[in-house]
Amino acid sequence: MSALPSTLDWYRVAVGDELTPMVVDVTASVVVAGALATRDFMPVHHDRDFANAQGAPDIFMNILSTNAYCTRFLTDWAGPDAMLRRLSVRLGVPVMPGSTLTFSGAVTGTGTDGDDGLVEIAFRATNDLGDHVTGTAELGIPLARSRAS
Amino acid sequence: MGAGGPSVAPDPVNQPMIRHWAAAFEDANPVYTDPDAAAASRFGEIVAPPTMLQTWTMATPRITGLRERGGAPTEVSGESPLSVLDDAGFTGTLASNSEFEIERYVRLGEVLTAETAMESISEEKSTRLGAGHFVTWVSTYRDEAGEVVGRQRFRVLKFRPAAS
Repeated sequence: MSALPSTLDWYRVAVGDELTPMVVDVTASVVVAGALATRDFMPVHHDRDFANAQGAPDIFMNILSTNAYCTRFLTDWAGPDAMLRRLSVRLGVPVMPGSTLTFSGAVTGTGTDGDDGLVEIAFRATNDLGDHVTGTAELGIPLARSRAS
Repeated sequence: MGAGGPSVAPDPVNQPMIRHWAAAFEDANPVYTDPDAAAASRFGEIVAPPTMLQTWTMATPRITGLRERGGAPTEVSGESPLSVLDDAGFTGTLASNSEFEIERYVRLGEVLTAETAMESISEEKSTRLGAGHFVTWVSTYRDEAGEVVGRQRFRVLKFRPAAS
């Protein structure tokens, strides 16, 4: 492992392009691993009895994990030279163990800022309850590493 | 969160925590963990995942007594608006919005600080979880030189659990 995988060619990105979908099969381990990796010890993310007392049927994914998966979804598609410049999310239904989270999104705009080509994206992630997260993001891709055609 | 000065990350940006994060989310982006690939990237070296800004400066947890404190993972200072809401029975917390602006990705060894300013507390609203207030704050993340590396607007619903 040493070569850098390729990054999206900004000159070939167009409004309406769809991102590669991403699926996360959520288990209790996924929820707890995410909470710990983000240092979020709120008990609703690891203690089912506590979650029940708060009115939730089970432990549920924390927002830092949601942000982490959104980041992965965006950069898996755009490549390692893409920089996340903005990530705005709104949470909807919870993600609990046993559900499958499916991310989808599309390019809504392009532009430039100095040496970076910008890509604006609208995305969502859904499970069987509905939209878990809807959001928008902006990525920057170095123009020098893209090829004008 | 509280009045007072910025909170300082208990540890510098470091590879073990980044590796733990990348493993938890199965994020194979090599700029987080592969020195050679990262060196060939725009970043020039290993960088931390951008939304980890919120993670570096999280308070060190106090696990013992978590339940007795109503689930607060740290000791709560009496000055926080959130603790005022907790004391008034709005003990439930549910995140609803996060908006990150990233100025640059941070590198191994950097010690970050977060400064938090309350932005708004809504009127009492009735929600499917119970009566509650939406609380919004803005955190500004800085490097050791005081330069802003990112900002985050964060909103939570503080609610009175219907079950209690």
